[in-house]
Amino acid sequence: MITFENIDVVYPNGFKGLSNVNLQINKGEFVAIVGLSGAGKSTLIRTVNGLVPFTSGTLTVGDVVVDPRSKAKLRRLRSRVGMIFQSFNLVTRVSVLNNVLVGRSADTPTWRSLLGWYRAEDKELAFQSLERVGIVDKAYMRAASLSGGQQQRVAIARVLAQDPEVILADEPVASLDPPTAHKVMRDLRRIQQELGITTIVNMHHLDLARSYADRVIGMRAGEVVFDGPVEEATDEVIEQVYQRSLTAEDIVTAEATQE
Amino acid sequence: MVTTSTAERRAAPQAATVRPEPPRPSGLVYLGLAGLAVLAFIVFWVIQESGDVLLIPLGFVTLWAPLNPVIGLVVMLVALAVCFKARIGTMAAFGALAFIMMSYWAGATVGFTLLEIPERWSNVEPRLMAFLDPNWSYIWTVRDQWLITISMAVVATLVGCAIGLVLAMYASPVSSPNKGTSQTIKAVNSVIRSIPDVGWALLFVAFIGGTAHGLGPMAGILALLMFNIGIVAKLTSETIDAVNPGPVEAADASGATLTQRNRLAILPQVLPGFVSYGLYVFELNIRASAALGIVGVGGIGSAMMLQLNRFQFENVAAILIALIVVVLLVDMFSMYIRRKLL
Ligand SMILES: Nc1ncnc2c1ncn2[C@@H]1O[C@H](COP(=O)(O)OP(=O)(O)OP(=O)(O)O)[C@@H](O)[C@H]1O
Ligand SMILES: [Mg+2]
Repeated sequence: MITFENIDVVYPNGFKGLSNVNLQINKGEFVAIVGLSGAGKSTLIRTVNGLVPFTSGTLTVGDVVVDPRSKAKLRRLRSRVGMIFQSFNLVTRVSVLNNVLVGRSADTPTWRSLLGWYRAEDKELAFQSLERVGIVDKAYMRAASLSGGQQQRVAIARVLAQDPEVILADEPVASLDPPTAHKVMRDLRRIQQELGITTIVNMHHLDLARSYADRVIGMRAGEVVFDGPVEEATDEVIEQVYQRSLTAEDIVTAEATQE
Repeated sequence: MVTTSTAERRAAPQAATVRPEPPRPSGLVYLGLAGLAVLAFIVFWVIQESGDVLLIPLGFVTLWAPLNPVIGLVVMLVALAVCFKARIGTMAAFGALAFIMMSYWAGATVGFTLLEIPERWSNVEPRLMAFLDPNWSYIWTVRDQWLITISMAVVATLVGCAIGLVLAMYASPVSSPNKGTSQTIKAVNSVIRSIPDVGWALLFVAFIGGTAHGLGPMAGILALLMFNIGIVAKLTSETIDAVNPGPVEAADASGATLTQRNRLAILPQVLPGFVSYGLYVFELNIRASAALGIVGVGGIGSAMMLQLNRFQFENVAAILIALIVVVLLVDMFSMYIRRKLL
């Protein structure tokens, strides 16, 4: 369970990224965060693992109270909270397997990482993670040689290798074409259901949010302005969040829904 | 007219639309630059000695020889005017001005010229003749010195690159634990780099003894080592500054320690650059060790120095030619490795 209590984020330049956010996200929930560009979606998601430190309020992840000032505590928190990025963020020059093994860092002694000499059980965990996203046969290929959708799956496998309780995804499918976007979202949804991992995803596209999430959170100008189950996130409600009428850009083409 | 017809056809629909122009640079800053030019002119006027001219000769062709600072001033102002007219940014204009000033000053101060060579021809000719007739058999007799040179270069390169990599990791703000560390290491690095290779060689020869004490190669390795650390640390830390931050953030987000994320997310990204700096430095070492022989650090340089002192120019020529061949071989070798790696 993740709880935000009166969370404020003020960036070093004085810009207020989040103001007075109160949220409670239950274990195993799949939450989509929607909002226009600059609404504070990335800020909210990055607050959870301390990539953006909050400046006031109380944040708890599971039974841990997040302390953005302690590097050691942050590392321990991050080992249980995986993150997926819009641009995949793989080390493209090394193999898929080595990218996935980055997810084992927190449980690997530093000298082993330095030598690149991982324990057999860590490698096995990495292979299992790759199996879960269906690209175990690509394990020894360079990450650069994979397609965008495959690279994002490697990134998901990297997160799975952490054996996380929470997955944060910052616009995970925004750089993918519609059919691939749906495939990756289906993977995320399946993993969330199979493993019971709390999943928070930032989205640009309403239809993706509606087809894969349990719950939608709407943001505007650093504030949470809507929070409810998918069924309540009707067009009218979202237009309220966006403060404009919906356009074709707010949805991914429907044609992609079938495999 | 046939040739221009396509261009005209393409240009026709655009004739009516107005394209955005580059923004007009700040006139005030340009005025300041003009002031700078005048200031430089005054300085040049004050420091000029009678009859001093700026010469930038290439061989016997003088490219540009303003006879006194007034010409320099005119060149600077014209350059500024052209830059302003072309709407070139103030930073670039400042760069152009600085370039003109530096070359003017450097040329005027050094008085560099090749015009003297013909006057001293009688002195040069016999030596040149000896150089043109190298003593080939001599090359083989100094093979031990070659071995020493190459092993000096290998050891200095390997150790220097290892230390340079670690320093680079601490020097770049991207990979260092904090700003303070990165600035301190950068400062240390600048000091190391500011002493030239010959400077290090002199220092180590003075501290631990040179060829005379049988310690030449040791001093040579240490000198090359410092020289290599400076170069590798500088180039590698600048490569680290420019890595893709995405994988670094991903490693951070997965709970990796600083060392782990530098090893897993930064090292693979800088590895190709790092290896080519290593190969480059190896090449520099072979060449430098020839020059360092002069100050007594052993290797092929000391052999060359010995022959030079005995006026055995045929032997010196043989060594120089062998040096060219070795450097070319090393260059080919490193090009091969780089191709394999990138
Ligand atoms: N490091 C920073 N320093 C200062 N301001 C920032 C910083 N990062 C983000 N902001 C500001 O905070 C606001 C919210 O940014 P955020 O990245 O959370 O938006 P977002 O909802 O994720 O938008 P997008 O859909 O474009 O990704 C923006 O106005 C942005 O300019
Ligand atoms: Mg964002």
